[in-house]
Amino acid sequence: MSAEARPTGSGARGALLLLRRFWRFARPHRSWVYLGISVIPLVSALAMWRPLLIKEAVDIQIPGRDFDGLRTLALWFVAAVVLEFGAQAVQVYALQRSGHASIADLRQAVFRHVLRMPARFFDRHPVGSLLSRTTHDVQTLSETLSFGVFTILTDVAMIVTILAAMFFLSAKLALISLSAAPFLVMVVRYFARVLRGLQLEVRRAQGVQTGYLAEQLGGVSVVQLNGREDAARRRHSQLGERYLRATKLANVFDAVLFSVMDGVSTFCVALLIYVAAPEVLLGSEAITLGLLFAFVDYLQRIFVPIREFSNKIATIQRAVASLDRIFGLLDEPSETRASPGICVPTSSSLPPSDPLENWKGRVRVRGLAFGYGGEGGEGGEGGEVLRGVSFDIAPGEVVAVVGRTGSGKTSLARVLTRFYDGYRGSVQLCSAEACIEVRDIEPDRLRRRVLMVTQDVFLFDDTVSYNVSLGDPDIVHDLAGIDAALRAVQVDSMLLGRGGRELQVGERGRQLSGGEAQLIAFARVAVRQPTLLILDEATASVDDQTEARVQSAIEGLVRGRSVLIIAHRLSTIVHADKILVMHEGRIVEQGSHGELLAAGGRYAALHRSGFSDRAGA
Amino acid sequence: MQLVLRFVLVYGRRYVPQYALGLLLLVLTNYAVVRIPTLIGRALNVIEGSGVEALASTRALVVELMVWACVVVVVRTVSRILFFNPGREIEYRLGVDLFGHLLTLQRPFFLRRKVGELVSVATNDTQSVRLLVGFAGLQVCNVAVAIPMHVMQMLRTDAALTAWCLIPVLLGAMYMRSTIRRFHGLVKKSLEELGALSDRVLESYAGVSTVRAFGVEEAIVARFEVRNREFFELAMRVAKIRAFSMPALTFSGLIATAIVLWVGGDRVIAGELGVGDLATFTALLVSLVSTLTSLAWVLAAVSRGSAALRRVQEVLSTSDGLPPATSSKRVDKPPRLELCDLSFHYGEGQDLAISGISATVRPGGMLGIFGRTGAGKTTLIELLARLHTPPRGCVRLDGVDIVDIPLAELRRGSAVVGQHAFLFSTSLRDNICLRGVSAKRSPWRDLEAEAGGGAVAEAGAERGAEADAEGDAEGDAELERVLRAACLERDVELLPQGLDTLVGERGVMLSGGQRQRTALARALYRRPALLLLDDILSAVDQGTEAQLVAAIRSIRSGDGAGTPTTVIVSHRTSVLEQADEILVLDEGRVVERGTHAQLLVRGGLYADSHAARESGGAR
Repeated sequence: MSAEARPTGSGARGALLLLRRFWRFARPHRSWVYLGISVIPLVSALAMWRPLLIKEAVDIQIPGRDFDGLRTLALWFVAAVVLEFGAQAVQVYALQRSGHASIADLRQAVFRHVLRMPARFFDRHPVGSLLSRTTHDVQTLSETLSFGVFTILTDVAMIVTILAAMFFLSAKLALISLSAAPFLVMVVRYFARVLRGLQLEVRRAQGVQTGYLAEQLGGVSVVQLNGREDAARRRHSQLGERYLRATKLANVFDAVLFSVMDGVSTFCVALLIYVAAPEVLLGSEAITLGLLFAFVDYLQRIFVPIREFSNKIATIQRAVASLDRIFGLLDEPSETRASPGICVPTSSSLPPSDPLENWKGRVRVRGLAFGYGGEGGEGGEGGEVLRGVSFDIAPGEVVAVVGRTGSGKTSLARVLTRFYDGYRGSVQLCSAEACIEVRDIEPDRLRRRVLMVTQDVFLFDDTVSYNVSLGDPDIVHDLAGIDAALRAVQVDSMLLGRGGRELQVGERGRQLSGGEAQLIAFARVAVRQPTLLILDEATASVDDQTEARVQSAIEGLVRGRSVLIIAHRLSTIVHADKILVMHEGRIVEQGSHGELLAAGGRYAALHRSGFSDRAGA
Repeated sequence: MQLVLRFVLVYGRRYVPQYALGLLLLVLTNYAVVRIPTLIGRALNVIEGSGVEALASTRALVVELMVWACVVVVVRTVSRILFFNPGREIEYRLGVDLFGHLLTLQRPFFLRRKVGELVSVATNDTQSVRLLVGFAGLQVCNVAVAIPMHVMQMLRTDAALTAWCLIPVLLGAMYMRSTIRRFHGLVKKSLEELGALSDRVLESYAGVSTVRAFGVEEAIVARFEVRNREFFELAMRVAKIRAFSMPALTFSGLIATAIVLWVGGDRVIAGELGVGDLATFTALLVSLVSTLTSLAWVLAAVSRGSAALRRVQEVLSTSDGLPPATSSKRVDKPPRLELCDLSFHYGEGQDLAISGISATVRPGGMLGIFGRTGAGKTTLIELLARLHTPPRGCVRLDGVDIVDIPLAELRRGSAVVGQHAFLFSTSLRDNICLRGVSAKRSPWRDLEAEAGGGAVAEAGAERGAEADAEGDAEGDAELERVLRAACLERDVELLPQGLDTLVGERGVMLSGGQRQRTALARALYRRPALLLLDDILSAVDQGTEAQLVAAIRSIRSGDGAGTPTTVIVSHRTSVLEQADEILVLDEGRVVERGTHAQLLVRGGLYADSHAARESGGAR
């Protein structure tokens, strides 16, 4: 997606590169970023100014018994506080807004990108890890952005202004009273490093324990039926002990870190008084009582950010790790598209014409070979699943493919729809004028004309109507079209009295029977009218009444278009214009039902055993 | 609140000494915290008082200050540890108790509660409880000690000024409290929204092939974007509170400082107050404000903690609903199984899932159950496995009511294979030897084996090998026999690490057929006296099916006495051919019964289905 190379090494440089890449997502919201950053100096200047007001009161107004001057100072103080409050609120809001907005955009980009990954990608990546990439990793990032990165800027600004004020007031006192600071920084850094390691261990231990818990509860009846309760308990408490040990140790370090801060800050104040007292008592010009007041205030505040600093560094490191994973995902090459999505700003260069405009459904396959290992045939576990397949589909012809599991039927369908790329040989869609190779057609264009219906119907937790249109903008408002499609596959009467097309199908279509789900998948096709339909006939059993509807729906769907059916039902096979018999990646016989039976070959044998195969899916 | 107290009494009792010492140190900490600004103020007063002779007394004050600085470091550290660590231990013990209890709960409970929800109770809720007893405990005590001490010190310095300062601070504190309540409401809502967003992402990814097949990627993105925007809006509402409302208490503290300047300055000029006292006041205010801020958070932690505790207690107090076991029957020989007029429904007011089923299976015999989806086959198996408790007197083993047999004994002697084969994320070996030849295995071996394959993947291979080396030859021979019987040998050869390959969710994904065969191997390995199989061959092809059916009939129960008494469910007639009797279920009732041959002759549902399969039609 981006031409920039992904940094492989960790470290500050890599982190910076990642953050720079992230800027692409923050750019659209940069005015908020700038607003937030621009008030940071104001906030720290005001915070620095407050003690100076007190200093003036102590040095000038109070000894001079100037009541009015004191009031004015107090009012100035209030003004400073109010302004600081307002500026800080604006800063926090603006930075959070820019952070959350860019995160929302990033989340969308990841989501869109995943939807466009080729099928091979999903073979390698379980859905769970993709989900965690899209939600969990992005969320971690969001927390960091709102608290980590920018508050560090604020802290730095605060420290710098306070230091500036202290050195401006008295370089000598500043140096002396801060003499404990290097020690403090070292202590904090050491403790923070240990603590970070411990926190990592805590999270890891917790993750392992939670994972174990979830799995054992998921299979709780297996645990119980096999009498595994005690072993599970022991293992669980073992994992818990690991977590406990880590958290207790982390507690100790955390407590020390927390307390040391208080102690050091007091220690510095003591040092300050020790050094400054003689000077003030001797009536020094440079060091006044008011100055001590200001210093005491500064010293109480300057150490707090130091303590927080390492925490924030840790969140940033976590965020960088998340970013690394997210960009790793975004860098996976996606399928090409004729019409790019919103996120790719090159929509001006749409290819002029649709090469499939005049295609009537003729397919010409010659010497097709394919394996799941990849294009180079780099030793995928199964090797080639299609080994030189040749056949034709004429416009309007219904071709049935039969064969045992693993004979290559489903792979054939996957190649024709470009679900999987990297075939050898030729698969051409031919119109009167010319033939075009499938690999040269963008998947989204191809899938407007070539539709595949698989056995396992996936339904979204939404209405029937949505599940037919799938949100397709061309269809979603065409309610008449959707109704017609539901009618065509005869599912309309089954939904009667249950809300019709507005029926909520529930999670994964729980409210519908398997047969109804099948019919809705057919309605998806009916409303789209593809030129070529590839149908993987369901093997699962449905009740007799639905079975009849499914059969007649299939008959309706195949009429008037080219169809390739991966067939399991005898009735479907018998009605096909042509039958391809596949065996071990090759077409071993083809012809009509009668011809093939008469030939007495593999087809006849399959017919005798009832075309039954269930293994694999 | 009562609940919280009772809980603290039960779980916190053994930490009383720690808490007591912690409390003592807390008092000392707060004394130091109040003492330090007072000393600073006094030092400044002395300096203002001028005169070189004052130098000695400032030195003394400085030394005292340094001593307190050290004291604060030590005392605060120790008190925090003393309060927090028991919290951690309580979280741990609660987690262990909870998981232990969950494992005793039965199917009806798990039908009511989702696993995800229970995991959240066991992790998030126990954490909230920990915060309640650790963090909140510390803070509540701290606040109880700190606020009076602060206010007292302030009053002692100047009563009138104290009254002035407390007004904005108290107002700020009250506002803070309501803000935090609002904040938590929103955070909760945004977590829910995040959940909804995750669901949508998960759904879309799960259905990605449909999305791609129909080329509706952009439409799905638009659907996702609705949730994404909603989540963003909520995040912004949280951000608003964070930006504008949260700093209110700090703000009011600063306003109080302005009052110190205004009112206090006047009083210093009037000579009623030392100038150093102003510094004392300001410092005390800062410390008071931070205490109040944590009080506001603590109140929220307490309310969330007690809600969490209620959920934890609810689970802990759920009883397993098992009737007391009165029989000492041992299930080590294949028993005679009798069903007498067995009926069952899942809950009051629900239809009977099965009704009036009677049958007798001789020891070592085989009962087949046939029927369509929803006919009640699985319910029957679950009753025999006692995942649900059958009504009294309806199921008997050798004449003993199955309800009276201790559950552990029943399960030791029986093996159940469910429709959906569940594999744990451990090695294939451990998945099969879940229980092993129980007597020969010490609990330690069990634990070791599990640790090997458990969630700790990196250690898996190593420890697995260790267990392997220790493994007795007999166990290995048994395992090989079982693998052969379940037709798994070839599959094992193809796995990258053979039997030590991690399977399950975090390991190699096995196919449906492989999973079923693994579950069958698991059952065979146990040499049960009673074998219950629920449609376990649905994803296995015909050739393998015949072999597996033969394997099921060829195993010997634990004492080698004979084949186990077997109940086998299938919707394929071919699986049931060898059964002594087959019950054909429809809508929970027996509609036909007899042997395979008899049923074919009779020509009912069973015969139809058989014919349909033979002729190659729909299955």
